[in-house]
Amino acid sequence: MLGSIYAIVGVALTLSIGVLKFLNFSIPGLFMIGGMTTWVLIRHGAPWPIAALSALAVGAAASLVVERFTWRWMRTAQEFVPLVSSMAFLILFENLAVAFWGSELQSVPQLFGTSDWRIANLVISIPQLVGLLCSVAMIWGLSAFLTRTRLGRGLRTIAEDSNTALLLGVDVNRIVPLVFVISGLFAALAGVLFALNYRQVHPFMGEALGLKGISAMVVGGMGNIWGAIVGGLIIGLAEAFSIRYFGADFVDISVYGLLLLILIVRPTGLFGDARTGARA
Amino acid sequence: MSGYLEGVLVLLAINIVYAYAAFLPIAAGQLNLGIAGFAVIGGYFSAFVSNQLAVSPLLAIPLGGAVAGLVGLAVAVPVLRTRGIYLALATFALGEMVRAGILNLEVVGGAAGYPVTAFIRLPTIALFTLGVVGLVWLLFSTRFGIAITAVHDDERVADLMGLNVRAFQVAAFTMGSAIAGIGGGLYAHHFSYIEAQYFSISLSISIVLYVLFGGTQSVLGPLLGATVFTLLPELLRGSAQWRYVIFAAILIVVMVVRPQGLVTGTQIRRLLGLRSEFDRKEQAT
Amino acid sequence: MTGPDPILIFDAVSKHFGGLAVIEDLSFSVRRGSCTGLIGPNGAGKTTVFNLITGVYPIDTGRILLDGVDIARIPSRRRIHHGVARNFQNIRLMPHLSALENILIGQHCRNSGFLGVLQPVNLIPGNRWREEARAALAEAGLAQIENATVGSLPYGLQKRIELLRALMAQPRLLLLDEPAAGLNPAETDALREDITAICRDRGITLLVVEHDMHFVDALCSEVVVLNFGRKIAEGSPDRVREDALVREAYLGTAAAEQTHA
Repeated sequence: MLGSIYAIVGVALTLSIGVLKFLNFSIPGLFMIGGMTTWVLIRHGAPWPIAALSALAVGAAASLVVERFTWRWMRTAQEFVPLVSSMAFLILFENLAVAFWGSELQSVPQLFGTSDWRIANLVISIPQLVGLLCSVAMIWGLSAFLTRTRLGRGLRTIAEDSNTALLLGVDVNRIVPLVFVISGLFAALAGVLFALNYRQVHPFMGEALGLKGISAMVVGGMGNIWGAIVGGLIIGLAEAFSIRYFGADFVDISVYGLLLLILIVRPTGLFGDARTGARA
Repeated sequence: MSGYLEGVLVLLAINIVYAYAAFLPIAAGQLNLGIAGFAVIGGYFSAFVSNQLAVSPLLAIPLGGAVAGLVGLAVAVPVLRTRGIYLALATFALGEMVRAGILNLEVVGGAAGYPVTAFIRLPTIALFTLGVVGLVWLLFSTRFGIAITAVHDDERVADLMGLNVRAFQVAAFTMGSAIAGIGGGLYAHHFSYIEAQYFSISLSISIVLYVLFGGTQSVLGPLLGATVFTLLPELLRGSAQWRYVIFAAILIVVMVVRPQGLVTGTQIRRLLGLRSEFDRKEQAT
Repeated sequence: MTGPDPILIFDAVSKHFGGLAVIEDLSFSVRRGSCTGLIGPNGAGKTTVFNLITGVYPIDTGRILLDGVDIARIPSRRRIHHGVARNFQNIRLMPHLSALENILIGQHCRNSGFLGVLQPVNLIPGNRWREEARAALAEAGLAQIENATVGSLPYGLQKRIELLRALMAQPRLLLLDEPAAGLNPAETDALREDITAICRDRGITLLVVEHDMHFVDALCSEVVVLNFGRKIAEGSPDRVREDALVREAYLGTAAAEQTHA
């Protein structure tokens, strides 16, 4: 299950890299915003579907703010500048959350009772299943959007070459905010799923998870949506295996070792396209 | 000198050392997001040497830097084959791996941290910092500094002009790693205690932010960036998280209005009275 | 095909990008001490020839001999050590360096060892290399801009600095890609006189890509004409101008038929 959350964060990151060549470090922050917003609204008595939808909306809105202050300035700026600004946004989001809600671990109330399905020895929790189905639906929707619609094709043209896209009459300034909205939505969705399933949120929840999302994206190949999903599952499995065989202490060593190894041996990832050799 | 003031100045000196560690590779066009990882190597190694072999910190700290530099060299060769964002990610993975590795290294205390017996105070740390700043400044007044900027500006043309682009990149990365290791050693020996958790990706990111804020085109940039970001939070009384909020907001705004950082090479030349006729004309218009 | 005493020989060189042949079985030579023009319509592969000589791209087949050494087998970084330097069609100076520092980059190939790299050129005012670069700037009348960051300089000045940078390498063969582009007629004339004098005084052989045919006529003793990556003519500018294939390439088939009729 954690693997699928990595995968969704990975999709958000990979979209930004693939289309804009921009490693958006604010995405872990948006993930946290998704999770924290869900918790805040549920605590104030909102039903969970409303809380979840509002969290998605807040995530998308925050992502638009990031767009205004990072990518807008990318063309004129030095190469690392948008990356740095997005890191600053991560710090900003985290500490705003601490300022408003404190830095403690908060728990989301149990919403679904004991709603596990038991089939023989297999225990399937309903929220997990619903979450999984939701994310599969959203990813499938994104993939269909990219291949089937005019806007989606325009987006992929930008990914290939933004100058050509401009020549072909693709409205880059309209599409770029859209990319931010979509990646904000996915990051927030992962946060909502995390909040509802693990029932724990805190202002720095994005860091560890965001780093795993980055690993998922790299393992799968930057810019490749299905690659990010497979990558997320691989990272999840690698974690599970190293806990089982080496103990919990070795999780980070094996995950980041895997990441480093792939970056050295095959930087384009398992399913990467050599052309999306993104710059910072 | 009050304990508070000394504490702030020590932090300032160490942050300046870190900033130069990040500056060297950035000046050559590479982003090292693993500074904390190299600092942790230098910190633990120097602490181990001074604890176990009763070596003076004055020797142990440069030794820690040398080991961090060697590790940097060993990874630079394969890692620098990757470019741009891949390189940044590889250094990030490396930093996290080193940290996780030390957390599991029982000989230096594992997750519990590692106490350091030897103790150094502000004057020693300030001397080390001066040494690092002086060395980097010297380095950048040689042909090396020009070559590094050339590699940063245009790798292709630098190559055609006969510059060994990869050698310069590896050199900048390795020296940066060694300087990070020295910073880690200073930290360990002042606070008498070192703990791998502290050297997280957030530390690496903050250091890179110092440099980009100060300016990547001149040797004074990192000095200025580290100073502003160490002293500013001290001046802003108030809760820690609001300090961070303000820090981040200032950074975002600076990157929007002045993406080249606070100081640039042109300004430095003007300050030194090397203003050219043309600059003057440009200013007049 | 090979004239007397060639400094550069292109021997059956081909280069493909994907399925597209940009240079097809190209052979020509450049006589030592000459000023040779490389002309042809847009997209004929002129700049590609420069890129193949300097090693921006590897060649697919053939040989490129510089004084008998096949430089196509030498890494691009080492070729400047063999005496070939160039400028770029769209100026490629290092924007964050000063004019003087850009010129110091040009000396690198003569001073590239460990001790050369550690020369404190910006620290000791009387440093030999620094003084040499300053003298070159002063000689070109650019002493007043030596500390200006080149990114902020106007186009014409940047072009002159780029030429100085190439000359600093003390090349035997200088490749100039559209040196007169963007200059007004007076500047073009001044540039031509400068280039002629420099090449004569220092014994530099010049290979120049240029669209301005008046410039080529006045500067070059020989020209090589390319079209679609192949050589279609070579010889003196006057002779080449009368060549039917050249007229066709430049003016289109219809015009060529008219002149034949």
